[in-house]
Formats: sequence, structure tokens, C-alpha cells
Amino acid sequence: MCTMSSCTTILVFLFLFFCIRLFLAIFSYTRIRLASANPRLPQTCSIAIFLGSGGHTSEALKLASALDFGRYSPRTYIVSEGDTFSAQKALALEHIKAADHAFSDDQPQYELLFIPRARRVHQSLLSTPPHAVKSLLACMRLVSVRPLFKKGAFRQPFVDLLILNGPGTCVILCAAIFLNRLIGLPSPRVMYVESFARVKSLSLSGKLLYHFTDRFVVQWPGLVQPGGREIYRGCLV
Amino acid sequence: MLVFVTVGSTRFDALVEASISEPVLSTLRDSGYDRLIIQRGNSVIESSEEFNGESCTIQRHGVDIEIWRFKPFIQAECEQADLVISHAGSGTILDVLRLGKPLIVVPNPTLLDNHQEELASALQILGHLKATSIQDLASTIALFEPRDLVPFPPFDGTKFSKLVDEEMGFI
Repeated sequence: MCTMSSCTTILVFLFLFFCIRLFLAIFSYTRIRLASANPRLPQTCSIAIFLGSGGHTSEALKLASALDFGRYSPRTYIVSEGDTFSAQKALALEHIKAADHAFSDDQPQYELLFIPRARRVHQSLLSTPPHAVKSLLACMRLVSVRPLFKKGAFRQPFVDLLILNGPGTCVILCAAIFLNRLIGLPSPRVMYVESFARVKSLSLSGKLLYHFTDRFVVQWPGLVQPGGREIYRGCLV
Repeated sequence: MLVFVTVGSTRFDALVEASISEPVLSTLRDSGYDRLIIQRGNSVIESSEEFNGESCTIQRHGVDIEIWRFKPFIQAECEQADLVISHAGSGTILDVLRLGKPLIVVPNPTLLDNHQEELASALQILGHLKATSIQDLASTIALFEPRDLVPFPPFDGTKFSKLVDEEMGFI
């Protein structure tokens, strides 16, 4: 009898803890920060960019090319397994940037990471779940487990900022970040940039991630809803 | 003058077929275009089997035609071209407009939920390009006035870098 009640108490506490974490994790997205997100002195900021494939990759790398690589360093390019196009394009950008800037050290300040695809093109919806689970596990390893074993970076997120622009697999990546926030581990800020191809309606990834990103950026004025959280600054690519 | 037709790496049989059809070729010739380069991607040309190889050259209705499956340097073709006709993929559209080339786009009607149509018409409203359909391609070419197009603004990276700098507290 006594063990039963203590079990219940523990469960109630766990449940309450979970609710609070859930609230905090969700609340962390809805807070629109107008002041500096991170008023800090260090001059560099690590970023990760998800390269979705084809047109998504081209847009993501165009966005990346706009950044000051001296400041946004090191850079992690997250590529779906087997997507050599995206990997090559990322390397090409790093090459161009390295030629443009003379960085103080010769160490390459970027890495390429491969994660399993959540869903292949034309794949049936039925066979998606197992792939999605495999993909989620790989993302969780990247987002939650890997930073724990990183030397000299205790309680640091895997990167400071994650930039996403679709498709499919980026939703899984964002889910891993959400779980990471839920258990209270340090997480990157997440910025989603909707494709230039989207004029009147959001893509499926955009709709799914709308409430789960810190910054949601669109490239056409028709996508701005009154009172919405998206921001529009014109064509970015 | 040279016309470059491209479907990127997609498959758009109807656009490739239309661009080697008699009405379009005659209109091109009458408008002063005597050369046509087509990058057909994965499109299949059913009317003329000989076009389905890696590359092929032919003359038809007074126009010299070159058909390629993939061209290694599309940018070079675009730079030479006096007119570009393409599918309405956002990547191709941006590339061509940034090169300052007159552009006619044909959204692929067989693609479901791909929003090519919306992008094409939004850019047409802004005056950056002309959007048309397979059926109206010949008449669009005949009436096309490249000088009426509004130049597309060049790539401006500061907009995004400022956004990220704000987000991360550098500004």
C-alpha cells in the first residue's frame, strides 16, 4: 500500500516536471525577442545549415554565402545520406569563401555531417515511419548526445544557430531539437527560411515547423499574416 | 539571335515538344531567332526518336536546333542567349533573371502542388518575366517585348546577414 502511494507520488512529480518542461520548451519559441537574443562578447557563433537537396540546397547555400564566415564559424553542413550534389555544393562554397577571405588560421572551419533521409522522393507513406525513426535517432545523437562528449564545451548546444529551409528531413531535425529542449539540454536557436518558390502558401515543412522555430522567415509579402510570427525582408536568395 | 530552352534536370516533355513544333519555330524565325539550343533534362521527345540521345543537331523551319540532354555549363548558354524559355522552377528563374536575360516561363501543369504557377504569375505581375502556357507559347513569343521587362534586383546578401546578426545579438 505504502509503495503504491509513493509510486503515485513519484509519477505525479514526474508528470508535473514533464508539463513544466513542455511549457518551457513551447514558451521558448513563442517569445519573440526584440532585444538582442544573446548579448555576448565572443566574436564567433557556430552555425549549422541543413541542405535539403536540389533547389533547397541552392537556396540554403545562397543564404549561407551572405554570412560573414569569420564571424559564423565553425559551420556544420547537414546533408541527407547519398546526397552528393549538396555535399559538393557546400564544399564549393567553402572553397570560394576561403579564396575571398584570408582567415587567420589554415584549419578548415567547417564539417559535413550526413543523416539518414526521413522519406525518399515517391516513397510510399506506409514505409515512411521506420525511416523517420532512424532519421530521428541520428538527429538526436547529433543534437543531444554528441555535445555531451565534446571536450571543453560542457553545457554548450551542438551549435549556436541552426538554419533550416526544408524539406522533410529538416522537420525531424527540428523534432530532435524540441526533444532536446524538453529534457532541458542546451539547444541552438532555430531559424526557418521558407523557399522563394512559396508565394501564397507555406510548404508542408513550413506549416509543421511554424510554431517550433525561434525565427520564421518568408520571402513573399503575401505570406505575412496579421499578428503572425513570420518576418519578411524581401527576397533573400 | 539565339534562344535557349531549358527544363533544368526535370522532365517536361510538352515544353520540349512545343519548342520544336512548327508554330513555335516559325514564330521564332519570324522574330529573328535563327538558333535554338534546348537542354531537355529528363524529357522524352516522342515525335522524333533521334533527339533522345546525349546531343543532336538539326535544321527545321529555318532554325538551327541543338538538343542536349544535360549541358555542363548552362550559365554559358544563358549568357549567349537573347531569349530564355524555361520551366518555372525557382532556381532556374532566379539564375536567368540575375543574368539579366529576357525570360518566358511555362509552368509545368502536370506537377501537382508545386506552386510553379504562383511564382511565375507573381513575377509576371512585378514585370520581371512573361509567363505563358504550352498552347500560347508561339503567340507569346510573337508578342514578346524584352524591353518592357523590369530588371530583377541583384542578389543582396546584406538582408539575410543583418537578420542573422540581429538574431544572434551582434546588432
